[in-house]
Amino acid sequence: MKNAKILVVDDEENIRLLFKEELEEEGFDVDLASNGLEALDKLKKGRFDLVVLDIKMPGMDGIQALNEIKNANKDQPVVLCSAYGEFKQDLSSWVSDGYVVKSADTRELKQTIKNILGL
Amino acid sequence: MSGSIKKQSQSMNPVDLLGKIIEISHSNIELSSRIISILNIISRDMNAEEAIIYTFDKDRRLSCRYANQKSVLFKILNQYRCHVGEGVVGSVAQKRSPLFFTKRDIPPRFGCLFYPDLDGRIENYKLFAFLPLADDSYLYGVLALCAVSRDTLHDADKVFLSILSREVGGILRSYELILSSKKRISELATLTELGKMLTSNAEPRELLKNIALVIAKSLNATFVTIMLGYPFLKLDAQRFTYGIIEPSVQDHVEELEEAATRLLRAVSIKDCAPDEYEDSFKYTLFSAPIASKNRVLGTLTICAEKTGQSYALGEDGQYLISTIANYISSGLENTLLNTRLRDAVRELNDAQKRLIEQEKFRSLGEMTASIAHEIKNPLVIIGGFTKRLARQVDIDRTENKYIRIILNEVTRLESILNEVLNYVKETPLVAETCNINDYLDEIIYLLTSDASWEEIEISRSYHQGLSLVACDSQQLKQVLINILINAHEAMHGRGTITIQTKQAAYENGSFVAISISDTGGGIDPAIIDNIFNPFFTTKERGTGLGLAISNKIIMNHKGHIDVENVAGKGVTFIIYLPVKNHTTKEELL
Repeated sequence: MKNAKILVVDDEENIRLLFKEELEEEGFDVDLASNGLEALDKLKKGRFDLVVLDIKMPGMDGIQALNEIKNANKDQPVVLCSAYGEFKQDLSSWVSDGYVVKSADTRELKQTIKNILGL
Repeated sequence: MSGSIKKQSQSMNPVDLLGKIIEISHSNIELSSRIISILNIISRDMNAEEAIIYTFDKDRRLSCRYANQKSVLFKILNQYRCHVGEGVVGSVAQKRSPLFFTKRDIPPRFGCLFYPDLDGRIENYKLFAFLPLADDSYLYGVLALCAVSRDTLHDADKVFLSILSREVGGILRSYELILSSKKRISELATLTELGKMLTSNAEPRELLKNIALVIAKSLNATFVTIMLGYPFLKLDAQRFTYGIIEPSVQDHVEELEEAATRLLRAVSIKDCAPDEYEDSFKYTLFSAPIASKNRVLGTLTICAEKTGQSYALGEDGQYLISTIANYISSGLENTLLNTRLRDAVRELNDAQKRLIEQEKFRSLGEMTASIAHEIKNPLVIIGGFTKRLARQVDIDRTENKYIRIILNEVTRLESILNEVLNYVKETPLVAETCNINDYLDEIIYLLTSDASWEEIEISRSYHQGLSLVACDSQQLKQVLINILINAHEAMHGRGTITIQTKQAAYENGSFVAISISDTGGGIDPAIIDNIFNPFFTTKERGTGLGLAISNKIIMNHKGHIDVENVAGKGVTFIIYLPVKNHTTKEELL
């Protein structure tokens, strides 16, 4: 089976790098975007099996980007991944397919992705 | 004085006599001596064996008050008082015109008219003269002359006597004026002192004590007692007394207080116990209600010795005591208002302080949250890459040990950050109806299944039929676990935890109380006030947020946490949660 393609969206370069390496190690193809607009652009041009989306970002934030993505394609799986736990209570985050609080321990993120992709 | 008069010649002409009398009457000698001297002169010079003066007593009755030294009748007459209009003396007083009787015109049974006991005992008297002691407007008494050695009275004598009676009336009048002005001055002084007192900012307790003192001092009272009808102004006592209430008076005081409250006017012992008053009772007592617009706040009672030098507490003491009581009531009313105002201002200040604190805390919370988030990303990066590093470095290398240390510290930092964020964030309550007894069992079961709880005995005493509460079970669980784990740590894993539930009332509200006691030696009293403060901890590796968060959660539930600490023994945390009812449900949901 072809590797699942994942788009990691985060404004922090080192977070992007960390997630990229961690996820590639799991056998995913990883592409990166540093903000919401760039992510939408990449989603228009190519197909991704899943988007890992940070919330606090300059320009278009994650919640906005989530809505845009889901409006364009409601079946596009998106996992929100934020340092903030409290957005879990934000109803608008509920349209996402998963919510992971950012941690140095990436096991939860990986597990969430695998669950969504049915791996 | 009388001695010097005796030495003077027996027959003095009327002018000299009048001159002498005027001289005496204008002298500074004490009133009764002056009058007695004059009576002595009259007796001797007019050849009248008896020269007697009747004046009005406190009941406005004529009583025999003064007589010449040699008077025989005085001892009998002064046992008897008569009303105006009654008998010969009363009739002279009523008509304000003199009466003269000589041997020829003395009516039959005259003694009886004069004084019942004199009937048949005054046969040898040949002359009687009764003169009103009055000025143009006022009657002060009656002068009575009785003679054995003469039986006629010339017109010149009558004129002389009428001049004389005016002069004596003048003495009595000025004496009354002096007395009443002394009384007024004393009243004014009392009221002035009271006024000063009542406008001061003294505490109610001090105020009442001082009022009693001022009244007692200025009225020369034996005691003054203020009884409050009901406890108010946060006073622990209801009676404020200056002086000592003798046991013999105690009953009368209560009787008077009751009467004053019931009748809503000043009363005296004369009204309540006339017999006591008339007889040997040596005190005079007045009581007046201290009444404000629509209620009786209490009573003021003043007691003075009848013979005491208390100018103001005469027969009309009721008026004075009423005035004073009115003064006090307005003063108390003011104090009451002041106290309420002060309380209100204090509450307002407290509320303002709390608001400022809350505002400070909110902005501190916002800052803390944003710092925590700023730290979080770098921490994830450090931790994430360190983990990657760990996987690549051979497990046996020293570097791996260092990497483990970094990872442990990152984990620790992350958990601190999570707790901080947990504390500062506003967590909405997800309230559900909850039976605390069942809920406690569930949590205890969860906790104690861990091996570290093996040596801890849990003693439970639940109130059956405990009211339901509306609470966020996740958050409440956090609180209970926190307190239980604290207990576990305080006892170093060995001891007894007692868990009780009961119904409790607090500030008109109905609560469910959960108390959790440990045997961990208690909290140092020096730090007990700090235990709910965020970041306060006694643990080596604690964030100091556990109890702060617990407290915040319970406050969000409109409840509160109490701590009962027995240093050296243990500590009891009592969580009060409001009983579920419509209001709290709406507020929570």
